[in-house]
Amino acid sequence: MKHTKELILLYIFLLMHFPILAQQVLKGKVKDAKGEQLPGVLVRDTATNKGTVTDLNGEFSFPLTSQSSLTLEFTSMGYQSTQVNVNPETSTYLQIQMEENAQDLNEVTVTGKSIVKEIKEKAFNVDVVDARKLHNTTLDIGHALDRVSGVRVRESGGVGSTMNFSLNGFTGKQVKFFIDGIPMDNFGSSFQLNNLPINLAERIEVYKGVVPVGLGADALGGAVNIITNQAGKSYLDISYSYGSFNTHKTVINTAYVAPSGFTFQMNAFQNYSDNDYWVTVDVADINTGKYYPDQTVRRFNDTYHNETLITQIGVQNKPYADKLLLGLTVGKNYKEIQTGARLVSVFGDWNRNGTILMPTLKYRKEDLITKGLNVTLNANYNFGSEQNIDTVHRRYNWFQQYLEYDTPGGERSYTLYKYQNNNALLTANADYSFGAHHAISFSNVINSFDREGTNELFPDQNLYEKPQKSQKNISGLSYRYQANDQFNISLFGKNYLQANYFALAYNPSGNYGDVAYRNEKETFSYQGYGFAATYFFGDNLQLKGSFEKSYRLPEPEELFGDMVNLQGNLDLKPESSYNYNLGASYWKTMGPSHRMEIGGNVFYRDAKDFIRPRLNNNQTMQVMDNLFNVTNIGVEGELRYFYKQSFTLGANITYQSLRNNTQYEEGQTVESVVYRDRIPNMPYFYGNADASYTFENFIKEGKRLVIGYNLLYVHAFYLYWPSLGSDKFGVPEQLSHDLNMTYTFGKQNRFQFTAECRNIFDKKIYDNFSLQKPGRNVSGKIRYFIY
Amino acid sequence: MSVEKSDILFINQVKIMKVKFNYCVGAAALAAFGMFGCSEDEKPTVTPGEDVQARYIIASTPTTSEGVADYLLTAEDLSSGTISTVGNGIEQDGTYRYYVTNNNKFFSLLYGQGNPGAVTTYQLDENGALQKLSDFQSETVQVFAPVNDDILMMKIPRSGAEDASWYQLDTDLLQIKANGLTNIVDVASNGERAHFTWLTQVGEKVYAPYMSIKGCCNDTFGTSYPDSAWVAVYDYPSMNLEKVIKDNRISYIGRYFTNGLVEVENGDAYAFSSAVATSNGVATSTSPSAFVRIKAGETEFDQDYYFNVEDVADGYHVTNQTYLGLGNFVVFMHNEKGAYTTGKRLGILNVYDETFTWVSGTPAVEEITNVTTNNYSLMDGKTAFIGFTTTEGSYVYQVDAQSATASRGLKVEGGTITAISRLAVAE
Repeated sequence: MKHTKELILLYIFLLMHFPILAQQVLKGKVKDAKGEQLPGVLVRDTATNKGTVTDLNGEFSFPLTSQSSLTLEFTSMGYQSTQVNVNPETSTYLQIQMEENAQDLNEVTVTGKSIVKEIKEKAFNVDVVDARKLHNTTLDIGHALDRVSGVRVRESGGVGSTMNFSLNGFTGKQVKFFIDGIPMDNFGSSFQLNNLPINLAERIEVYKGVVPVGLGADALGGAVNIITNQAGKSYLDISYSYGSFNTHKTVINTAYVAPSGFTFQMNAFQNYSDNDYWVTVDVADINTGKYYPDQTVRRFNDTYHNETLITQIGVQNKPYADKLLLGLTVGKNYKEIQTGARLVSVFGDWNRNGTILMPTLKYRKEDLITKGLNVTLNANYNFGSEQNIDTVHRRYNWFQQYLEYDTPGGERSYTLYKYQNNNALLTANADYSFGAHHAISFSNVINSFDREGTNELFPDQNLYEKPQKSQKNISGLSYRYQANDQFNISLFGKNYLQANYFALAYNPSGNYGDVAYRNEKETFSYQGYGFAATYFFGDNLQLKGSFEKSYRLPEPEELFGDMVNLQGNLDLKPESSYNYNLGASYWKTMGPSHRMEIGGNVFYRDAKDFIRPRLNNNQTMQVMDNLFNVTNIGVEGELRYFYKQSFTLGANITYQSLRNNTQYEEGQTVESVVYRDRIPNMPYFYGNADASYTFENFIKEGKRLVIGYNLLYVHAFYLYWPSLGSDKFGVPEQLSHDLNMTYTFGKQNRFQFTAECRNIFDKKIYDNFSLQKPGRNVSGKIRYFIY
Repeated sequence: MSVEKSDILFINQVKIMKVKFNYCVGAAALAAFGMFGCSEDEKPTVTPGEDVQARYIIASTPTTSEGVADYLLTAEDLSSGTISTVGNGIEQDGTYRYYVTNNNKFFSLLYGQGNPGAVTTYQLDENGALQKLSDFQSETVQVFAPVNDDILMMKIPRSGAEDASWYQLDTDLLQIKANGLTNIVDVASNGERAHFTWLTQVGEKVYAPYMSIKGCCNDTFGTSYPDSAWVAVYDYPSMNLEKVIKDNRISYIGRYFTNGLVEVENGDAYAFSSAVATSNGVATSTSPSAFVRIKAGETEFDQDYYFNVEDVADGYHVTNQTYLGLGNFVVFMHNEKGAYTTGKRLGILNVYDETFTWVSGTPAVEEITNVTTNNYSLMDGKTAFIGFTTTEGSYVYQVDAQSATASRGLKVEGGTITAISRLAVAE
């Protein structure tokens, strides 16, 4: 590594020569010889040693203490530093031009790393989405994750539709989600991937297969950690977008940080959509059931909206706390249910809603008691509820015709069932670094669940709703050894502990109102372990290897059922897996303008006792069971190319071979006919590509236009076992193109306008069999921000 | 009727016709594990020019846990040979499907967890292959049975709403020609609800035996009336409830999703009870498993007829039946009472003579993992084809009532047998 401190050169124009009386600040702008604005230039008063840094546009403002002349020094890596004498009485705006260090600019290596880069270089197999780069888009967090290699986010429809996240072949609850390191377990439908705007996040970390102990949870196949803006200083970011299908989205993120450390932070967001996009479907005659084939109709019972407000208040940078924030998350969502599992199952009035009401506490202190000991504590409690509303006794078809019956009933199942999970969560982390090479960390997560449900239509039954409690405690301990700059390794162990209490209510005598209970209690304890290591070969190549034996404990819902469609199964065992990763990344700068990053990863998963739904005995409800074993071997690769600051091109691709590893089905002595067959209904070959070009000084000096393009590809896959049958159902290949254009303008470039078009070619796209996603849709977004 | 349907399917349901190449690759992958090759027997077994009269239809479900679909296979003969779902068969959408044949058409119904869905219909073409007719939409139903040239279906709420919906499907038009409601709390009129176990056409009426269920209180399928049987008698096609008849000598007729009442050649109806009523998960029926009779033209139980099966069958009870004609039934026998268990031993039971004989030649009980309940009878008084899955695979057994023997016939590779039926070539 060439080391730095390049200096010298100057050049000053004092363009403005009119005198000014009393002036509080001195402003100016720094450019290079070509007129490009220079961000990050250190501006220092040589006398007082006070200073500031130029912003993204090369501008700075320097507070003045007196009207006397002063000497400012401008320093920036790769440029010759410059000193300028300034008389504040005569100068109001400085235009500084800095000369490149002629000698060895081309060999300067920038050693400062972004946080994103730092995380990517950890030993864990982790991908990081730099969410700030997507803040101009209308994406929700789910769709942003869909662009990560190894990840597929499948959705059943438009805005607010159910999203199914898969990571290296693991799906649903096998992958855990965190927000700022806090598990998002049981946050309810009002706080999910499909309704969190990307603007809420600063970055998103995707841990594949091996999860650090700091994220304490029983993740079987990886974890996603959404990092929100950490509010180190005051900021404001407001955006509103409007798009096809009457879609409105608003996000307000703001924080006030007083010099005293007092902090107030607020994130508010709203999504609304009619989701009335066109679908092509066989429409059944409402009376005869006869299909009118291939009709193009609008969706009509698919309105979704959610509103969420997150407020936090507290202090930062105090002797007793680096951060102490008390908060409250309040939100609700409303979702109409248009279809069942197939497009031909259509509903016209059925809907669901949910609320979140969650007080939170966040505490962090570095160097507590002794230097190197950092402690974090988080707690929250969710009073939110979920309700299923099916009280209109009608049968609909896609022409919005219906048959109505004048007796009580529903479209699918007459209900007003409402429940709340009373979920409490407490996480504690401590890490301690000692010597130059060692660090240990400990984490503990306590999660408790206590469901209460009522159905106001059948109050008599409420007697039989009984305590269903579950408590989980997951603790982890890790040791990290940093041998030198080239090599480090982490070893860790985790302990999973679960206790379930279940009081099954029943009627002992058959007489009206009688109730009795059978009490059940189950406790489980399991141990997992793993390691992650990395080695750097020189400055351009990194190797990573990691392994974990992981468990996922059954969720309370899987143990107790949901009293509607899911029957409980108290005999569920945890799912377990051996996860292996081996990866390499390589980056290279070619000449002054070209830069390239290449990464690749091979993974292997050997998982047992997958928890999957089956129908219960009389086939009226689903029940979760430990059903089968799978292996998955796969590769994923990523490539990114940069040309100066103006052009980037990237692509990633994932191929996985997810195979049924259950050799003998229960009770069989002959090998299963689908042993080693590819697991059906799972995308196995998919990728993304993106490109963007930035036009500087577009229309006006200093204004910027960025044109971006994104491509999604998913190979066709079968709905059922590939080896069986000759006339089969499947999900066809998907290829969708998105374009967006962002113009940044206004005073200090604080305004941004984005126009987006998704699915430009109006292709029929499906994530799930028969469930069409929206066709071509456009949206516009306006954003104002001060950082 | 079926011509434009293929286009629709492609757009709406995205049906993928699998090319030979693909399943050769799939089969080759399996062959690597010593199972299958890409051999001749995966090709359709049609010999051109052969004069096809009829084919047996076999629905098979893979014995695995996820991504399960049924496959429809055709066979010329059930007494020998092998048939496989590997690279062969028409995939059915949805894990749980049920099949019924009427008017020489084969209907594949989805059990869609309460959701409506498409019913697919097939007839047999001159090559002996299944040919798809137009789909139509139906609700998820719990009972369905041929009545005249219709299929009568019912969607029965197990809790909540009090109305069961009925639908009459016209098998010529392949449309629902009438639908309506019947209040099952009123039918039961004992504070519980009537959950129809099946529907049977008897004369010009529809007899609907039911189990009385609580429909609530964490004991949905329990009852406080474990020792009574009921049949709701409906006029057809008006579906007016004429009366509900009751008999306290037996427990409820049939079982959940199981036909327990059969009209024989002289117009009498015979019905069996398994005597498996429960309350809070505990078996509460005290009456034994027995057959009773409703005489032709009468809508009351014949108090002079009562055939206690447990007395003549070593204490075993009837779980299912297949009628052979001439008063002979193949009965599926079990010795442990359970609401959802299917008997693994077969008996021949004659309701006229009130005789019972155990059938020999079926697989050993401890090796049986599944017994097919939707089987095929030649109605010649003696011959039925019954599906068995053992630890070693699935076979169709041919049962002969005269000798009370069963012999192993066609092997079905790839899964359990969910239904055996037969279609003649369509006109």
